[in-house]
Amino acid sequence: MASTIIGAGITIEGEISTDEDIVVAGTVRGKLTAKEAVTIEHGATVEADVQGSSLIVGGALTGNVTASERVDLQSGSRVIGNVKAARVTIADGAQFKGNVDMDV
Amino acid sequence: MSASRPQPRGPVHAGAHGRTSGESEARISRGARVRGRITGTGDLVIEGNVEGDVNVRGDLTIAEGATVTSPSVGAGAVTIAGTLEGNVAATGPVRLAPTARVRGDLQGTQVAIDDGARFSGRLDCEFDLPPELGGSSQAETRGRASARR
Repeated sequence: MASTIIGAGITIEGEISTDEDIVVAGTVRGKLTAKEAVTIEHGATVEADVQGSSLIVGGALTGNVTASERVDLQSGSRVIGNVKAARVTIADGAQFKGNVDMDV
Repeated sequence: MSASRPQPRGPVHAGAHGRTSGESEARISRGARVRGRITGTGDLVIEGNVEGDVNVRGDLTIAEGATVTSPSVGAGAVTIAGTLEGNVAATGPVRLAPTARVRGDLQGTQVAIDDGARFSGRLDCEFDLPPELGGSSQAETRGRASARR
């Protein structure tokens, strides 16, 4: 089944929750909760607290992140907020300001 | 060879069906729930649950099984096969598929209600009257239909 996609031209202000994957290429302000993977694509803007199994960020994210598995901040991403996940990668070229909590 | 006959499908717009994946396609899938405002330029397909205003410049499809509660829905062409509670103001045609359950007012360039669709509300559809029924000037030939069922 197709996952939820927030296209580049779309803005959502409010709360999104899903049992599946979600891909954001547009703008989300508020809260984003997924049971599966969350992908914030290059060019996307997310100003929200994000929760998911895993999170891949290529765009701009302002907010606190909690992932049950892992968080990958890709090159070109810009993240301001605290990241809580067992595994975190920050690629060369990613901008990041905040705390990392790997729960060690 | 028989003469090609135009399909008597009525004023049903192909809408979002012709496209497979637009550049700015948006899809709220079956397991997803959105509470808040959705705005934007692209097309939107709702298969899940949406509570709040929806305003897109592209085409909107409310799929079968979807539930939308929205004081105001604005879009280009609108196709509804799910459940909608709220008013629709479309700049294109509005189509209620047989599985549609709609409570609210509908406004569009054309409104099509398929057999089996349930609708309760007002229809507001601007159209050009034929010259023999309308007045002489452009402005006067614009009609207005209202129906309640």
